[in-house]
Amino acid sequence: MIEVRNLSYRYPDGKEALREISFTVAQGECVGLIGPNGAGKSTLLLHLNGILPEKLDGAVSVLGQPVSSENIDSIRRMVGLLFQDPDDQLFCPTVYEDVAFGPQQLGLSESLVPAALERVGLTGFEKRSPHHLSRGEKRRVCLAGVLACEPRVLVLDEPTTDLDPRGKRELKALLRDIPATKIIASHDLELVVELCPRVILLDRGEIVADGKTVELLNDEKLMLAHGLERPHILQHRHPHGFAEAPWVK
Amino acid sequence: MHIPDGFLDAKTAVTTAGLAGGGLGLALRQVRRQLPRSKVPLLGLAAAFVFAAQMLNFPVAGGTSGHLVGGVLTAVLLGPSAAVIVLASVLIVQCFVFADGGVTALGANIFNMGIIGGVGGYAIYRAIRGAFSGLRGQIVAAVVAAWCSTVAAAICCAGQLALSGTVSWSVAFPAMANVHMLIGVGEGLITALVLAAVARARPELLEPSSGRNVRLSYGPVLVFGLLISFGLALFVAPFACSWPDGLDKVAQSLGFEHRAAGQPLIHSPIPEYQLPGISSAAMATSLAGMIGIVVVFVLAFVLARVLVPKQTR
Amino acid sequence: MRHDFLDRHSRLDSPIHRLCADTKLVVALAIVSATVVMPISFVTYFVILGVVLAGIAVVSKIPVSFLAGRLLLLEPLALGVAVLALFQPGGWYVFATIVVKSTLCLFTMILLSNTTPFAELLGVLRRLRFPALLITTLALMYRYLFLLMDEAERMQRARASRTFTKRRFALWKVLGTVIGQLFVRSTERAERIYAAMCARGWK
Repeated sequence: MIEVRNLSYRYPDGKEALREISFTVAQGECVGLIGPNGAGKSTLLLHLNGILPEKLDGAVSVLGQPVSSENIDSIRRMVGLLFQDPDDQLFCPTVYEDVAFGPQQLGLSESLVPAALERVGLTGFEKRSPHHLSRGEKRRVCLAGVLACEPRVLVLDEPTTDLDPRGKRELKALLRDIPATKIIASHDLELVVELCPRVILLDRGEIVADGKTVELLNDEKLMLAHGLERPHILQHRHPHGFAEAPWVK
Repeated sequence: MHIPDGFLDAKTAVTTAGLAGGGLGLALRQVRRQLPRSKVPLLGLAAAFVFAAQMLNFPVAGGTSGHLVGGVLTAVLLGPSAAVIVLASVLIVQCFVFADGGVTALGANIFNMGIIGGVGGYAIYRAIRGAFSGLRGQIVAAVVAAWCSTVAAAICCAGQLALSGTVSWSVAFPAMANVHMLIGVGEGLITALVLAAVARARPELLEPSSGRNVRLSYGPVLVFGLLISFGLALFVAPFACSWPDGLDKVAQSLGFEHRAAGQPLIHSPIPEYQLPGISSAAMATSLAGMIGIVVVFVLAFVLARVLVPKQTR
Repeated sequence: MRHDFLDRHSRLDSPIHRLCADTKLVVALAIVSATVVMPISFVTYFVILGVVLAGIAVVSKIPVSFLAGRLLLLEPLALGVAVLALFQPGGWYVFATIVVKSTLCLFTMILLSNTTPFAELLGVLRRLRFPALLITTLALMYRYLFLLMDEAERMQRARASRTFTKRRFALWKVLGTVIGQLFVRSTERAERIYAAMCARGWK
């Protein structure tokens, strides 16, 4: 589905951000991307739908097509990106306009908008102004805006930051129900355990590890060496990987 | 300086709307050609920024407070055409969302604050900037430009009010000009402080205009220049003749004659005793203006010295 | 968050709110233009207009206290300039004229802005084929207005809580730094918004 081959990137000021990144994501997979702050997770995600590099060089391929300026529209339709700060992504004056933005720009039907809003449970919010919404609601509008383009791949950058526990639960349930291929960058290791069977560990612009979530996250030494830690959800239940800890209902 | 509805008569409203529309149209054309696409959202954000910045009050003498207009600041940071669009957007939102500033006066407000304040201010900035180097030079130029354009915009505003018969020139000019000479100091001060702060945080945002591919092509400069000249000719020149040549009676009659000849509009007979009032108020204002410019220049130098440490070249 | 009070009533439900935005805008502009041009001697017009506007205000269900508050907030500025009009022959006449006219026009615009969400006004401009760049700028400005005001307020408070001097110049310097930072943050946010717009296929 997505193939990244020897991807390297330098910031405009010359600092190296990514170094020889290579990995593949198969259709329908859900992969977690973890690593300490400054590892380059967000930068990597921006490469997946052609926002970076400034001059597209085909290091990333989606469905066999290398990302280039000719096919950038279809790439952006196939790969939906959810940014870290919903305020950056929710830029239209009303909810409806914002969700309709993607379909309009990509030449799709506007009938996708009500369906997308229903998917995220925000029917009836069409005329609301973004600045009146709660953080969780804004996140969901952004998700609707991305879903309205019917992407095959969903790329999410820290989707549960700033959400209260209820918001997190709602978002997790939503994500679980979306059948697209998913790549989720997150500090929320519990989310990663619950949703992603596979995980890629990134540190200082390089892939340090790529494998089964429970295995990698249980490796305390590895976690601590890269600014993370073994999540509690793994410490307090059976290592066969249940979705819920026993006492949670 | 937001003129409400009902203060300008039809002809003034239409004329200013025409000038503002022309200027805005030109600015849009310029920005569409010169601004890289990645900077388009910046216009909207800059407009929001100017609005938010205007809401922050700064303490002036004796418990009153003033606030920023931001014409020169925006022009220095984004270029003059972008500044026109930004300021026009701020004025439009203020008018239609907050009812601050009248709809019929929108043209006048955009012309005064956007074109005189923004473009005119930028022209003054460029003129002075050329004489000095480095960040200090930018700050000096910006401060002086901010002050001058604030006062100039106020004078145009006075002219528009006088032309509409709302307030007589002899009252409007001193009132507006004097008040804004003071406000202009605050504007210059804030402009300097903000530019210095931006220079500390992200110096590349303050790149000299040449770095922002603003090749001064003659077309737009000419058109903007014409618009400003028309504005000044329509709103200020008719009254400028009324500036007296002296304080004795002969000068008074000369002044009176100039006014009668120069404008077909204001016909009310002016009682004798008002003439000395006109002469001294207007004369005093003009003198104040000239002194003001010198004072502002000095202040600007001192400010630049204080804000920019020696090693910053 | 408290800044949203400026928009609070534009989403009420009343016959006026339900009217199409095009109609409201055209009517408001017509009223304002007519009022500005109408000679004050035609008193009947102004009286009728006052009554009509009051009627619209009642039907629109906007709280009277709010309307009165908005009017009173903006009146002093108009009055200040209006007072200058007194200093000329026939001053009282001019003064009365502009006070009446500007108050009625102000009332009209306050009613318009509180019965029509700005997004709908933008829709009208779009239909009228206003330049796309201007509309995008207005839309983004409106969207991020409140966010930036909140940010400015927060920064101001954070700075104020760390400034222990009453020296005026120091306070101004703080203000300058706050505004400067606000601009830098706005620039950075604009870059991220551009990325978000491109990610969804912006042409």
